[in-house]
Amino acid sequence: MKAPQWTRRLLGLLAPSSRERDIVGDLEEAHRRRLDHRGPRLARLLTGVEAIDMAAVLLRQRVGGWVGVSLLDFKLGWRMLIRYPGLTVVGGLAMAFAIWVGAVTFEVVNQFLTPDLPLDEGDRIVGIQNWDTEANRSAAPFLEDFVTWRDEVRTIGELGAFREVSRNLVLGEEVPEPVAVAEISASGFQVARVRPLLGRTLMAADEAVDAPAVVVIGYDLWQTRFQGDPEVLGRTVGIGSAPSTVVGVMPEGFAFPRAHAVWVPLRWNMRDLEPGGGRQVAVFGRLAPGGTRSSAQAELDLLSARRATRFPDTLGRIRPRVLSYVRSVQPLPDIGSGGLMAANMFMLMLLLLICGNIALLMFARAATREGEIVVRSALGASRARIVSQLFSEALVLGGVAAAVGLAAAGFGVKWYVSMAAVDSGGQAPFWIRDHLAPATILYLCGLALIASVIVGVGPALKATGRQVGSGLRQTSVRVGGIRIGGVWTAVLVSQVAVTVAFPTTAFVFHRYVAHVRSLDLGFEAGEYLSARLEADEVSFLGNERALDVTPPGVRLASLYQELEQSLTGESEVLGMTFASRLPGMNHPRSPIEVDEAGPLSEADPQLFRAASALIDVDFFRVLDAPIAAGRVFDSGDLNSDVAVVIVNRAFVDEVLGSRNPIGRRVRYAVPADEESRRWHEIVGVAENLGIVGGPGFFPRNEPALYLPATLDDIDLAYVAIHLRGDPEAFTNRLRILASSVDRSLRLHDLRALNHVAESQWNESQFLFRLLTGVSIVALILSLTGIYSVMSFTVTRRTREIGVRVALGSDRRRIVVSIFRRPIMQVLAGIAVGAWLVFLLVLAVTGPLGAREIGLVGLYATLMFVVCMLACIVPTRRALGVEPAEALRADW
Amino acid sequence: MPDKSLAEFELLVMLAALRLGPEEAYTVSIAEDIAERTGRFVRRANVYTTVQRLEEKGLIATHLGESRPERGGRPRRLVKVESAGLAAVRDTTRTIEAMVGSLGDIIADSG
Repeated sequence: MKAPQWTRRLLGLLAPSSRERDIVGDLEEAHRRRLDHRGPRLARLLTGVEAIDMAAVLLRQRVGGWVGVSLLDFKLGWRMLIRYPGLTVVGGLAMAFAIWVGAVTFEVVNQFLTPDLPLDEGDRIVGIQNWDTEANRSAAPFLEDFVTWRDEVRTIGELGAFREVSRNLVLGEEVPEPVAVAEISASGFQVARVRPLLGRTLMAADEAVDAPAVVVIGYDLWQTRFQGDPEVLGRTVGIGSAPSTVVGVMPEGFAFPRAHAVWVPLRWNMRDLEPGGGRQVAVFGRLAPGGTRSSAQAELDLLSARRATRFPDTLGRIRPRVLSYVRSVQPLPDIGSGGLMAANMFMLMLLLLICGNIALLMFARAATREGEIVVRSALGASRARIVSQLFSEALVLGGVAAAVGLAAAGFGVKWYVSMAAVDSGGQAPFWIRDHLAPATILYLCGLALIASVIVGVGPALKATGRQVGSGLRQTSVRVGGIRIGGVWTAVLVSQVAVTVAFPTTAFVFHRYVAHVRSLDLGFEAGEYLSARLEADEVSFLGNERALDVTPPGVRLASLYQELEQSLTGESEVLGMTFASRLPGMNHPRSPIEVDEAGPLSEADPQLFRAASALIDVDFFRVLDAPIAAGRVFDSGDLNSDVAVVIVNRAFVDEVLGSRNPIGRRVRYAVPADEESRRWHEIVGVAENLGIVGGPGFFPRNEPALYLPATLDDIDLAYVAIHLRGDPEAFTNRLRILASSVDRSLRLHDLRALNHVAESQWNESQFLFRLLTGVSIVALILSLTGIYSVMSFTVTRRTREIGVRVALGSDRRRIVVSIFRRPIMQVLAGIAVGAWLVFLLVLAVTGPLGAREIGLVGLYATLMFVVCMLACIVPTRRALGVEPAEALRADW
Repeated sequence: MPDKSLAEFELLVMLAALRLGPEEAYTVSIAEDIAERTGRFVRRANVYTTVQRLEEKGLIATHLGESRPERGGRPRRLVKVESAGLAAVRDTTRTIEAMVGSLGDIIADSG
């Protein structure tokens, strides 16, 4: 295994060209020796530390002579931090914030785009997916594909397959809980190259249909559910309804193939091996020595062409694709790599902007040290020497900010992992790190360095850019030679503009969340407990040879009836119902047609999109949701010749133009099959029950259809149980009842129904908080910047003020003439910011009315007043200048 | 005449290079030799800068060896002690011995 790529790149970048090969070679050799003695994880860490140490030496050799930074400069920098606590706190926190945001974004982007598989030679593990060339989308391979590839492909050494299923883990009399189970081929463990902590992994013999049922468990499960019992091997546990013998425990951190803690053998029968049919699995493998992804792809292409000739109907349009392992089991989210890179760039821009603002503060401070700088120049200090000293001071500030940013970034990444865990159902994929990668720490150091350069070198170059003679002359008469030029004006203007714009963004998000929360679900959702209901298919119930598999829905329907029966004995339970989606959840949307012309406002009056849900006939009665018109379903609707449907109020308003809907007919415009092509007669109108969405930024109640169904019609079934008192207090009791009905009956995501909708807005809430944080930082920075510029202006023109006061000028006119320029800059910033706000509001809510424009104007005025507050102290100081003192001080 | 006396770590590097010989002395092996014999933690970056300094002083010479698979196909930079280097080692060790003189027993006892 090679030394980490970033270490090689780092040293390659910094080493002199004549020494590059032997320096990187030393690193490589030392890493291999460590691998033998210390294991891969520690070896990577030590090699990373050594590379950074070596890089520091090489960097010093490269730039040390030019910069001439000394320890004394850093000591001086430290003293300056203490001497100017306001600047230290404001500048340091702002830098830390920018570094934190940048580092967390970099880490998250890297984990998405180039995840590092923490397995031995993880970069040689690949996944194989099928690509449907007609439908233009990927598809999971079938078991038959796996068996064929395993037997025939040579460029991939070991090939494994898995199928993710959910099962109840049943331990003695404990209440069963659903766990993610990987049905995995024994070869999967060879691909992962991880030895078990106890016992053994799965073996090929375990895959036989008549072999005893066995299970391998993960370390965490072993610790939590078996209390780390060393005698766990040989114990029998229920995986669903199938009693299985524990044969192995995997080491801590092992969750291959994704986020799994329970592994059972992948078994199949002859029916599964029909080409283009049978069960679907995820296929992965480790490239054979010398094999590459492209050579594996070429071999699979040849094989695929041969098979397509033999089975043109089923395999003619299928092409296998070799992908990186992670990409094959976890497709990139819709945002895409471009979006993620854009996020990185945005954060870098944020850093530059914040640093530009801190640079303004540093510049104002440097201006107060103008005399010191000029005298040092006169005494022979080179410009580079003075610049390097000011840079060192900024570097100390940057170092402190980096330390704070680093600590905060650790928390940020942990938060991200917890979010990723929620997204993937409880546990994050095993390749997601909950700590910063060395590359991110390096990037963070780079950000701190960039920040220090901007904050230190820019102002220093500006402050030292004048001739010594004129500097001394001006310093001696205290008129001040440093002026705020075009660049700083631009910085100040952009700073004020951002200050104005950011709070609006936060406000818009706040409105969004508040708006979503205000959408009434239409019934007392807080009285209902919701859950997703699942049961094992018959083939898994210990009878692996059963070929006639009862459809899962039919079995689930019968178990549901039994559960409903057992709930009737519970005094807190008022009712129970089911649906394919419950109110507050994300419903599927489909194009629909209406029998006659719809509203005149639509371009195509007969084609609309509507959300839909398959529901229990008692759905509205159990939810206590009133019917606005017509009737609710009854059991006769399930088998009636006339298909019926209930629509919601939004459907009537938007699709039917508020006309009488009863008796009208609707159907799906793009039917999945002939059955769904049928016309459905509208028999009732329900109130809007928390189906929200729509094309605009602010979601609204969407048109929806409710169709009567039985549980065997539904792929994904949710139940809602009406309870007296706190519904979540009934969670445990419900699990016990479900377990008494059938040990394989699983209840997922048990939550009060009002919490279901709220959980969907967590990310918006987080974004709102983040934007609020950015806004506060921007506001503080902006006000401090304005204050500094004003103070700087007063300091520079103290003598002038004194002379004008002595000559009897009106003090108000003096203030206006002195502050005209900075106030114009603030006004320009507010105008730019208000324009940004205007564009933002326009994009979000559409054309603005007089009220919105007035609000933007009011907000801009408010921001101007806030900005002017920062001018109070400098103005009072200017007005307080005593002529005699000012003149005496100058001479 | 330029100063050819050796600082402590320079002396350790020179001694390790002499012991390993011109075919086996390079940064990684020198660092390991010093670490093994002294029990100290040795930063390879220190060895690298010391070798550079000794080369600038003309006490050692370096050249690239053959490419090696365990180094990802990269060569070692082999260290050869020059006659001036040998003389510097001799002078430094003699100075130390002269200064230690009869204090050997005391030093041993106090240790």
